[in-house]
Amino acid sequence: MSALRLLSSAGRRAPKALSLGRRGYAEVADKIKLSLVLPHQAIFTSADVVQVNLSAATGDMGILANHVPSIEPLRPGVVEVIEGANGSKKWFVSGGFATVHPGNTLTINAVEAAPLEDFSPEAVRANLQEALKVASGNSSEEDKLEARIEADVYESIQHALGSR
Amino acid sequence: MSSTTWRNVFTYNKYTQIAARALRQSLKEEERVAAEKRGQTILRYQKWENGQGGQQVYLNPPEEKGAPPKSAAV
Repeated sequence: MSALRLLSSAGRRAPKALSLGRRGYAEVADKIKLSLVLPHQAIFTSADVVQVNLSAATGDMGILANHVPSIEPLRPGVVEVIEGANGSKKWFVSGGFATVHPGNTLTINAVEAAPLEDFSPEAVRANLQEALKVASGNSSEEDKLEARIEADVYESIQHALGSR
Repeated sequence: MSSTTWRNVFTYNKYTQIAARALRQSLKEEERVAAEKRGQTILRYQKWENGQGGQQVYLNPPEEKGAPPKSAAV
């Protein structure tokens, strides 16, 4: 019942459609509790943040406080966390799920993630060339598909590093 | 995920492990070495019969000392 009430009130209070540009909110009363966790490390554990930008499978989205509950699979891409008025932090995430729970909580489960500074552009370029070679070669369908998936990840990393 | 045809071939688990492995291979040197360990698994199994354990068998026997264990993308 409360979930229904929350949904309708969230509908009335729905955040405006945001562009993923450098918009931040200087003074925000409402923050959302973020838990960004990997199997081997918890980057955030119930931390109050203002906004989280994700690249979901259905498209890029920005999550603010009191977002409607939803479950989104994530593409390999950048998760940007805006904690306050002072800038944002970015991680590249290999994939996973973002779940907004009723009660203003966002949980992001990812298998691998690293800050953008930890990536080596030369390694990405070399890996991408290698993957494209396999993907357009004449190995089995499985190997080519595997290389295609890897190539997609490398291209996403390049895009993320390029537009840092 | 531009090629959603992977669903015909791979499970979601395998797909995520492939993407995670790609990410690990793109890191700078020190982080990459630490991360590579996360992608490796070793499996040993043992058949039990009448309360007696049988031979412990490696799923992928290491050929010699220091051979790298199997990748986590199964």
